[in-house]
Amino acid sequence: MDKNATRYSVQLYIYDLSRGMARSLSPIMLGKQLDGIWHTAIVAYGDEFFFGGEGISSCPPGGTMLGPPDTVVELGETEVSEEIFMDYLSSLGESTYRGDRYRLFEHNCNTFTNEVAQFLTGRPIPSYITDLPSEVLSTPFGQILRPILDSIHIAPPGGNVINGGRNI
Amino acid sequence: MTRKLTPNPSCSIGGVKMADQGVADPGNNNNNKPETSEGTIIKVTVKTPKDKEEIAIAEDASVTQFKEEISRRFKAKQDQLVLIFAGKILKDGDSLSQHGIKDGLTVHLVIKTAHNPSLCNYLHSNTTSGFGDLASLAGLGMGSANFMELQQQMQRQLMSNPEMLSQIMENPLVQNMMSNPDLMRQMIMANPQMQQLMERNPEISHMLNNPELMRQTMELARNPAMMQEMMRNQDRALSNLESIPGGYNALRRMYTDIQEPMFSAAREQFGSNPFSALGGSSESGAQPSRTENREPLPNPWGPPNSSNPSESGGSTTGSTSTTGGSNPSVSNPLGINPGSLGNGMFSSPGMQSLLQQISENPQLMQNMLSAPYMRSMMSSLAQNPELASQVLMNNPLFAGNPQLQEQFRAQLPIFLQQMQNPESMSVMTNPRAMQALMQIQQGLQTLQTEAPGLMPRYAPTGRYTLDNGFQLFCFFWPSLMTGGIPGIPTGGGMPVENPAPSPSSAATNTAQQQLMQQMLQMFAGGGAGGSTQTPEVRFQSQLDQLNAMGFINREANLQALIATGGDINAAIERLLGSQPS
Repeated sequence: MDKNATRYSVQLYIYDLSRGMARSLSPIMLGKQLDGIWHTAIVAYGDEFFFGGEGISSCPPGGTMLGPPDTVVELGETEVSEEIFMDYLSSLGESTYRGDRYRLFEHNCNTFTNEVAQFLTGRPIPSYITDLPSEVLSTPFGQILRPILDSIHIAPPGGNVINGGRNI
Repeated sequence: MTRKLTPNPSCSIGGVKMADQGVADPGNNNNNKPETSEGTIIKVTVKTPKDKEEIAIAEDASVTQFKEEISRRFKAKQDQLVLIFAGKILKDGDSLSQHGIKDGLTVHLVIKTAHNPSLCNYLHSNTTSGFGDLASLAGLGMGSANFMELQQQMQRQLMSNPEMLSQIMENPLVQNMMSNPDLMRQMIMANPQMQQLMERNPEISHMLNNPELMRQTMELARNPAMMQEMMRNQDRALSNLESIPGGYNALRRMYTDIQEPMFSAAREQFGSNPFSALGGSSESGAQPSRTENREPLPNPWGPPNSSNPSESGGSTTGSTSTTGGSNPSVSNPLGINPGSLGNGMFSSPGMQSLLQQISENPQLMQNMLSAPYMRSMMSSLAQNPELASQVLMNNPLFAGNPQLQEQFRAQLPIFLQQMQNPESMSVMTNPRAMQALMQIQQGLQTLQTEAPGLMPRYAPTGRYTLDNGFQLFCFFWPSLMTGGIPGIPTGGGMPVENPAPSPSSAATNTAQQQLMQQMLQMFAGGGAGGSTQTPEVRFQSQLDQLNAMGFINREANLQALIATGGDINAAIERLLGSQPS
C-alpha cells in the first residue's frame, strides 16, 4: 500500500435547523427528546456539499444562510481526488440526487451525506442523524404532521447547484 | 504418504468449503476465473452513483482482474474505472485482500467520463465569481473548445430559459459586445447559412456593412420598448404604402425577393445562431401583407388596438395567407404571427381562418408548441401565477374590461394546468383534431345565433374544454408576446375585434364578449369534468390533506376543491364558511 497518495480530509458539518428549539420543545411536542433537527453537509477539497430541494449544491464551508455549523465531525481521509469526486457527484446529481427526488423523511440531506461519506471514507455518519426521521415518525405527532412535512423541501440558500439539474 | 495440509480450501478437511466451492461454481460462469483456479469466491457489491451490481470474484484476485470483470458487467472501458474502497483508490497492482475487501462488502465505482475539468473550474470560478451571469454560463459546459459547439450549447441554454435571455441582455458585458457593430457583423457573417444568403442577396451584405444601421439594430435589440415602437411605425408605414397604386405589388416583390429566403434560412438555423434573426430582419422592416387585402384599411389614428395592420394584416381580415404568419423577425424569432393567432374572439372570421390555417399547416402548430422556449415559458407561467396575471393585464384586450380580467385571473390556474396537460398539447398538434375543433366552433356559432338561450345549459365535455383551452391559449399568446416577455413585442398589440365592415360589429362584439365569459365559466366547470382524470383523482392529494386536517365530509371537500380548482386554502375557507360552526 503506497503512502504516496495524496490524502484529503473529509469533515461532516452538522447544523441544527431548529436552533436549539428542538432540544427544549421536543419532549413536550413529540414525547421524546430530540436534540436537534439535523442538517448535514460534507466538507472536502475546501468546499461544502449538500443536498437540498434544488439538488446537490456546493458553497464555501459554512457559507449557507445557516451560518457556521453546530458540530464538526472528522470523518477521516480519502484518497479520492477532487476530479473523481466531482464526477461522482455529477452522476449522483443526475440520478438519485436530483432536486425533485428530495424527500424530507426518506431521502434528504442526511441520506446524501451518509452516502458520500461512505464513498469517500468508507464510514457512515453518526447514527443519531440518520435515525432522526424514524424517531420523529414513531411519535403520534410526527405521524399527524407527516403530510405537511413531506412537502417541505429544505434548501438552505447560499449554495450553487452542481450539475444545473433543472427541475423546471 | 502425508498429505500436504495447505490452506487450500478446495481440499479442505471440513468439506464445507468444498460445498461452497461447488455452490459458487455456477456463479463462475460469468466470472473471470483467476489464473490460479483457487481461492474462495466472494461476492462484492460494486456500487456506482446510478446503480449497483453484485460481482463474484476470487478472494485473492488482483484489482486488475476485478476491473476486467467490472468492465464487462458495466460495459465500460477498464481505464475509465475508478474503484474506491474505504476512502482509498484501488490501484491495478493491488490485490483485493490487501485492501480488506471481503465477502458482502461494497466497493464504490466511478466511471470516468471526458468532461472532468469543467466541473472543477466551475466550482472554483463560482467561489471567486467576478463576472456574474457570464461565469455561470461559462461553467455550464465550457469543456468544448469548439466555438460553434459552445454557441450551440449557449443557444440551448437560452432556449430553455427565457429569463436568462433577458438577464443576458442586461449584462453589461453582453451589452458592450453588442454595441460593437464590427463584432456583431463578424459573428453574423461567420454563420455559413448567412453567408449563402448574402451571396444570393447582395443587399443584405450592404445592410450589414452599414455600421449606422447595425448600431441601430443593436440598440433595438437591447431595448425592447424601442423595438416595439419601431415595429409599430414600420407597420404603419407599410400599410400606408399599400394604399398607393402599385404599392402592394412593390411590397410583395420586396417580400419574395428579400425577406423570404432570408427568413427561411434564419428559421432553419435558428438553432445555431441567436443573432441571425437580429441582424437580418431590420433591413426590410416589418412584415408585408400577403395576399390581397380587400378589407378597408384600419384606422391608424384610431384606438391602439385596432392599428395593427401588416403584421397581422393578412389574417385579421380572414384571408388565408399561405405563410400563415410564420415569418420570423427580430421580435419574433420563431415566426409566430401573434396577430393571426391572437384574434381571440372565438366566432370571429379571424379565428376561423386561423383554425383553417392550423389545419392546413400542422407544422405551424407543431413548431410553435415544440419550441422549447415555448414550453418552458408555459411552465414558468404555470408556476408563477402572478407573472401570468401581469402578462394578462398588459394585454390591451383587457384594457376596457375589468370584469373579464377578474374572470381570467380566477381561471388562470386551471387554464395553465390544462395547458400543461400533454393531451391538450397533442390535440393541438393533430390537424384532424384541429379540424374537428373548428367544426365545433362553427357549430357553436350557429347555435349561438339560433338559440342564444341554450348556451349556459351546454354540458361541459372534454372536447369542449380543450377547445376552450386552445382558444384561451391563442388568446394568451399575444399577451405573452406583448406584455410578458421582454424583447419580444408584437407589431403593436392585438386587435380586440376585427375591423369588420359590418355595422353590427359592435353588437356582435359585445355578444362575443358575453359568449366568452360564459365559456369561461363553463371552462371552470368543465375543467373538472374535462381532461382525462376525474376530479377525485386529480384532487386526491388535496383530499387527503383535507382529511388529515379533519374535514371528513368527502363530498363537501370534493365540491369545494372543484369549485376552487384544487386550491386547498380556498377550499377550506369554503368549507368553513358553509359550516355552521
